[in-house]
Amino acid sequence: MTLESVWLALLGLLLGGYFVLGGYDYGVQMLALRPGGEKAGHEKAGQRDTVSAMAPFFLGNEVWLVAFVGVLFGAFPHLEGHLLSGLYPVFAALVLGLVLGGAAVQLRGRARGAGAHRVWSALLVLGGALPALCWGLVLGLLTRGVPRRADGSFHIGPDEVLHPYVLACGLAAVLLFAAHGATFLALRGGPELADGARRTARTLLRATLAAAVLPALLTLAGAGAALRHPGTASVLLALLLAALAATRWLLAGRGTPGRAFAVSCCAALLPVPLLGAGQYPYVLAARGGGGITVGEAAADEVTLRTLLAFGVVLVPVILAYQAWNWWVFRGRTGLRHPRYF
Amino acid sequence: MGPTDLARLQFAGTTGIHWLFVILTMGLVPLVAVLHTRAARTRDPARRAVLERATRFWGQLYVINYAVGIVTGLVMEFQFGLSWSGLSAFAGNVFGAPLALETLIAFFAESTFLGMWIFGWGRLRAGVHVTLIWLVALTAYASGYWILVANGFMQHPVGYEVRDGVAHLTDFGAMLTNPSALLALGHVALAALTTGGVLVAGISAFHLARGTRETELYRLSLRLGVVVGTIASFFVIIVGDFQFPLLERTQPAKLDALEDPDAPWHGVLVTAMDGMTLIGNTVSTITLIALPLLWRDWLVRFKPLAYLMTAMIPFPFLASIGGWVFREVGRQPWLIHGELTVDEAVSHVSTGTLAVSCAAFLTVFLALAAVNWTLITRFALRGPDAVQLGTTDPLPDDDADHLRDLEAYDMKVTT
Ligand code: HDD
Ligand code: HEM
Ligand code: HEM
Repeated sequence: MTLESVWLALLGLLLGGYFVLGGYDYGVQMLALRPGGEKAGHEKAGQRDTVSAMAPFFLGNEVWLVAFVGVLFGAFPHLEGHLLSGLYPVFAALVLGLVLGGAAVQLRGRARGAGAHRVWSALLVLGGALPALCWGLVLGLLTRGVPRRADGSFHIGPDEVLHPYVLACGLAAVLLFAAHGATFLALRGGPELADGARRTARTLLRATLAAAVLPALLTLAGAGAALRHPGTASVLLALLLAALAATRWLLAGRGTPGRAFAVSCCAALLPVPLLGAGQYPYVLAARGGGGITVGEAAADEVTLRTLLAFGVVLVPVILAYQAWNWWVFRGRTGLRHPRYF
Repeated sequence: MGPTDLARLQFAGTTGIHWLFVILTMGLVPLVAVLHTRAARTRDPARRAVLERATRFWGQLYVINYAVGIVTGLVMEFQFGLSWSGLSAFAGNVFGAPLALETLIAFFAESTFLGMWIFGWGRLRAGVHVTLIWLVALTAYASGYWILVANGFMQHPVGYEVRDGVAHLTDFGAMLTNPSALLALGHVALAALTTGGVLVAGISAFHLARGTRETELYRLSLRLGVVVGTIASFFVIIVGDFQFPLLERTQPAKLDALEDPDAPWHGVLVTAMDGMTLIGNTVSTITLIALPLLWRDWLVRFKPLAYLMTAMIPFPFLASIGGWVFREVGRQPWLIHGELTVDEAVSHVSTGTLAVSCAAFLTVFLALAAVNWTLITRFALRGPDAVQLGTTDPLPDDDADHLRDLEAYDMKVTT
């Protein structure tokens, strides 16, 4: 493997890790206001239970995104500038959603008074839905190819974002993360919460399956993705659909919630290899051919080699202490759990 | 305003707000770690209880503050690519490396361990729990180091050469030991400790002067705050003075602009520098006087003196904004000194888009800052009774039944 592909794999790992872990956070945030999910009069407590389920992992999950952007800048500087500034409005909205959601998760518990609670709750949900939607839009835009101007810069306008295929990807991502979050709650919530979440997850998974077929149909009709390797991408999409169906099947009582969650993690991860393998060797494909390849995007060899010396030590250490965190806070939430968020 | 000005305003506003929270993070976390360590080591149960309450009180204040630091930091990370794509095009081979390493070395560990510390009360052994907060402290300073390596490169680029119009890394070691980064790290760390010490002393003095049941807790906090504040504010001046000879060597125009009334940004630079030095000298003098007055609580028996400690809280924040404005504005028109100007670096994004995003981000950040400071103030005024950190919901009598329910439920789902 070349140095560049090592770093591309690591970049993919960080983005995939973030989709899996950050993904269920966003799902949980969206479900914190589940209509009818709480018994009357128990709203507040119910909502706190929901957030408590993800609380000890929240900070450690979000940081996968921070690392993704850091490595993007360090190892693929010529992609970073083009990608973020090219898709400026979508990324700006994404980041704004992350800011509001992050603040809501961390500060909601400090609020006093019903009014303040309502505002924070709304931001909590928005902070889950908006990033999920924006990631779906980003995936849609990147699989379709981004228009490139004569000066070489990438640029999107409103009609790019509002394209049916791109919107369908956005919708599918929202449902996917919501279903993933519900599957997580079925695993970690206390009995009452978990039962409700299991039912919600099954409904959401069916909706996700339907929504994920939509972009595929649009592509077949010639109004969707323009991938370099449609064959590979179709196989990965089929795997994704199978993972969704399998999660739904496992949640119907045919397997442990742990197994359902593991399969759901695969579903949340798959969009990353789908994009990466589908467009390879382009990391940012231009509409109508061409784009930026891995080789062009990467930093020069000295930089990659220098970073690699740190990477080989750091990545296993990071995985180890993250795993320790999951281990320490394993098991269902219950009364004995310290609450804070 | 053109795209460059908008991008600048957005960047300066975001960094400024990020910094106002980060400086307190860096100033408080070592104090929380010291208190937690002392609590874990004390045998006397009453004393131990006080120290643990103090840890949780200052710890919660720190965690409330942390929230804004983290969300603004996220935006910072994205902003280089969003607004300054010319920076990565020219210097990506060099400038990106410290940022990548910051995330892998510092942020990953800091976030994970802080999460574990917040939720680890009663779940982790005391030794492990205390180690976690020290790791959080260590990684907070590590992140300061890496970001200053990046910023030091902008001020005084070293360890690179330009080939075909693009910078290439030639000497990573030189970059890591850039004097412009190391001196700044010393000065920033001491500025942070000054800020944290003064804040802890000010809040404690306020409660003691007003009368409180928590005398012991606030007395030990006052001591810690005054001692740290005195030492840090003394050395922040010393290290600040060391920066002038370096600037003479690396950025003489920055210093000249202080003297020359016709230089661009002259007024801003003079105000920033004078504000910083005036505050530095004043804070250092007051804390030095306060230190011997800790004896027999003279400091808080004489109320005006106690309230003076409280009134001092905002000033280190102002000083450090002044310091950054001097450092960053004095760098103009260069983004990377002598290599890349700000105009060359700005992204090809339309003025309209930038105006909307600038307005949206700054509005959200100002609102968040205001909300967060309100929460901090309210919590500081209510005192340790309001602490939620490390508490579980009250256990009902049927706790054993509840656990059995949980197990039965898991069995049911499994089979
Ligand atoms: C509590 C905050 C605080 C206080 C009391 C001081 N400073 Fe400071 N100063 C900072 C907080 C700060 C800072 C925010 O942390 C800066 C910005 C960049 C840096 O390295 O530190 C800074 C920058 C900074 C610079 C600019 C370096 C550059 O452009 O590269 C100089 C020359 C000084 N300081 C000098 C001083 C002197 C002579 C002080 C006292 C008499 C002083 N500072 C007090
Ligand atoms: C936290 C403290 C900081 C503050 C308060 C601050 C303040 C500012 C200000 C006021 C400007 C606008 C200057 C002008 O246009 O006249 C600016 C620009 C900028 N700063 Fe900083 N800065 C800080 C730290 C950093 C760090 C650590 C970095 C890099 C790692 C950095 C990178 C930049 C960049 C890229 C710009 C935009 C280009 C420019 O206008 O020069 N800043 N900052
Ligand atoms: C003045 C220089 C800066 C210092 C000393 C500093 C330090 C810190 C520290 C200690 C934190 C931990 C969180 C907190 O304290 O609230 C933090 C968070 C963060 N900072 Fe900064 N920062 C600076 C400027 C910047 C800049 C210019 C960037 C842009 C790359 C940045 C990116 C971040 C990010 C992404 C986080 C969130 C990390 C996480 O999720 O754990 N910071 N910063």
